[in-house]
Amino acid sequence: MNLSRTKIGAILAAPTVVYMVIFFVVPSLILFSYSFWSSESYRVVPDFVFTNYLDSLHSAVFWKVTINAVRIGLTTAAISLVLAVPVGYYLVYVSRSQTMLYLILITWFSSYLVRIYAWRTLLGTNGVLNAVLLQLGIVDHPVDAFLFSSFAVTITLVHIYLPFCILLVTSSLSEIKPDLIDAARDLGTSSLGAFFRVIAPNAANGLAGAFMLTFILVAGDYVTPQMLGGSSGQTTGLLIADQFRKTGNWPLGAAQAFVMFVISIALYFILVSLGRATGLIVKRRTINPKGI
Amino acid sequence: MRKIWSTEDILQLHLSRRVFLGGATALAGGVALGPFLPGSAHAAGGDLQIMAWEGWELSDELADWRTKNGVNVEVSAIGNQDDVTSKFSSGNPPPFDAAEYNQGYSDLYIDVLKITKPLDKAKIPNYSKENLFDVFYDKPTWYRDGKLHGVPYAWGLNALVYAPDKVEKPASYTDLLKPEFKGKIAIVDDTLATWPLAATLAGFGSKFPHLTKDEMASTFENLVKYRDQARVISLTYGDAVSLMVSGEVVAVLIGWTGIPVETAKQGLKTEYTIPKEGATTWCDAWFMPPSVDNEETSYKFINEAISPEIQAKVVTRNAAGVVSSKAVELLPPETKALFDYSDVNGIFKAAPLLGIPPLKSAEHATYADWVAAWNEFKAG
Repeated sequence: MNLSRTKIGAILAAPTVVYMVIFFVVPSLILFSYSFWSSESYRVVPDFVFTNYLDSLHSAVFWKVTINAVRIGLTTAAISLVLAVPVGYYLVYVSRSQTMLYLILITWFSSYLVRIYAWRTLLGTNGVLNAVLLQLGIVDHPVDAFLFSSFAVTITLVHIYLPFCILLVTSSLSEIKPDLIDAARDLGTSSLGAFFRVIAPNAANGLAGAFMLTFILVAGDYVTPQMLGGSSGQTTGLLIADQFRKTGNWPLGAAQAFVMFVISIALYFILVSLGRATGLIVKRRTINPKGI
Repeated sequence: MRKIWSTEDILQLHLSRRVFLGGATALAGGVALGPFLPGSAHAAGGDLQIMAWEGWELSDELADWRTKNGVNVEVSAIGNQDDVTSKFSSGNPPPFDAAEYNQGYSDLYIDVLKITKPLDKAKIPNYSKENLFDVFYDKPTWYRDGKLHGVPYAWGLNALVYAPDKVEKPASYTDLLKPEFKGKIAIVDDTLATWPLAATLAGFGSKFPHLTKDEMASTFENLVKYRDQARVISLTYGDAVSLMVSGEVVAVLIGWTGIPVETAKQGLKTEYTIPKEGATTWCDAWFMPPSVDNEETSYKFINEAISPEIQAKVVTRNAAGVVSSKAVELLPPETKALFDYSDVNGIFKAAPLLGIPPLKSAEHATYADWVAAWNEFKAG
C-alpha cells in the first residue's frame, strides 16, 4: 500500500495532535468560556458577562503587576538571548561539541527551588557576593539591594531559563548551512559581517521564537519574583493563582489569564513588526517540494 | 519438564484445599455476619490518604499504631490553607480520608463548600469532655445542626518573634517602626494571622472580620508603614525561619511559637513575645470529606491524634498547644511553659478564634475585597 507523504505525515502527527486537542485546546476553550461566567461564593455560575474582563482592565493592581511581569519577562528574555547567541554560534559552527551542550543542560537536573535558595545565599546581606566585595574593599558595609530587588529576580531567572534559550538558539542556527558563511567570507565580508548579513537574517525567525518562548515562561513565573523580588516581585501569575486558590473566583482568574495571553500575542506581533521594519527579520519564501 | 506428583504433594494439595475452603468459608461468613459482630466495624487498616501541615502528619508519633493495624498513610503536605480549599472546591472530590483546616475556614468548609462530613462522636472516644479543654469541646466553630464536623487538634498564638541578640525586646508592634528595624523585619503571607493584627493596629481589632470597606482601607493604609519597614513579605513561616537564620531579618511582624524552635535547630536564638496589643489565636482541626474512602480507619486515626500521649508528642515537636487537658502533664517543661494551661479559657477569651471576612455582604468588606486589598498591599 502506497501512502502519500501527506498521509504519512498526518498519521505520524495524529497522536500528538489528538493529545494536544484533548489536553490543551479543549481545556483552553473551557477556560475561555469560564471567563464569561460569574462566580458566587466559590461556585462558578454559567453566564455571559464581560465583568471579569472589565474588572481586570480597570484594576490598577492588575496593570501594575502585569507591567511588572512584562518588564521582568522582556529583560530576562533579552539578556538570555544576547548570552545564548554566542554560545549557540560556538556550538554550531566552532566546536560542534555535544558534551558542551549536555554540560549546559545539566543545570536542569537541579531543583528549581534549590536554585532560588542558592541565589538567596549568594546575594544575601551575609552572602558570598557581599563577602567578596567587603574583602576587596569595594564596599565598606554589606549591600542590601542585591537581594529582594529586580536585580535578584533577573539574575536568577536568567540562570534558570538561559539553558532553554541556548537550546532554541542552537536549534535555529543549525538550520543555516556553514557553506553560506563560507560563501560570504569568500565574497569579502568580515566574520562579524557574515554574522549580521547571513546568520542573523536567516536565523531571525528562530531567534524571535527563542525570545518569545523565554519571555512567555518568565512572564508567567510568579514564584521566583515573589521569593527574590520583595515588593517588586508581584506578577500577574500570582493574581491569577489567587483567584483559583484563595477566592475561588475561577471566571476572574480565567479572564486575567486570557488578558495576559493577548498581551503576549500582541508583544510577539510588535516584535516581529519591528524586526521587519528594521530589516532584522526577513520574510522567508516558502519552497515547494519541487524546489520551484 | 512435567511434574511427577508424590504422595506428599498430593497430601499437601489436599491440605491446601482444606485450608483454602476453610478460609473461603470464613471469609464468606465474615462478609455476611461481619457488620453484626462486635468491634468488626471499627477495625482499622488499609490505605489512608490525608492532607496535613508539615510536621503535623503524625508520621513518627503513630508509627507503632500504623504497624500494629497495618495502616499505610499517604500524606499530601499543606503549605497554605489554600492548598486544601483549592483541592476540595474543584469539581471532582479529591481522594482524601482526612484533612486539616484552620478554624477561620469553618463557615466556608462546612456551610458553603460542604466538604466536611458530619462525624459520629461514638467512633472518636477521645473526643470527650474529660479529655478535651472546655473551649474545644462541642463548640459552635466545629458544630452544625447538632453534628460535629471538625475535631480540634492543636492550637497556638500568633505574635511577634525577634532575635534578642540583635535587637531589644519590642514591647509593642509599633516598636518595629523604629529606625533600627528599617529593612530588617519580615511580614509573612499568612492572611489568617496578619489581617486580624492589621485590624488591631488600626484600631478595629474588636470588629474583625466584619469591617466596612472604609475601615478595611484604613487598616491597610496603616499597615503600609510596616511594609515600608519590611525587607520582604515571606511566602511561608518556613521561609521566615530561613530569613532569620541567614540574618536578612531580625524580627517577624506576626510569627508563631514554632519559629524559635526551628531557628534554634539552626543555631540562632529567637524569642516569641506577646506585645501590649496582644496576640491572635489559631486552632487546627481534622475533618473528613463526604467522599471519604477508608472511613473506619480515618475515625481511628483522628481518635489517635487527640489521645493524650500523641498530643503531647506532636505539640512538643511543633511547639504548639494541646487540645487534650490530660496531655498537659505529659508535656516537657519547655513546651508546657509556652502557654498558661491553668487558664486556657482565659487565653481564648482575650483572643477569640476568628473567622475569615464574609463571602457576601452589602455592609462589610468581603473576603474577595480583603484578598484584593492584600494583593495591592503586597505589590507596594
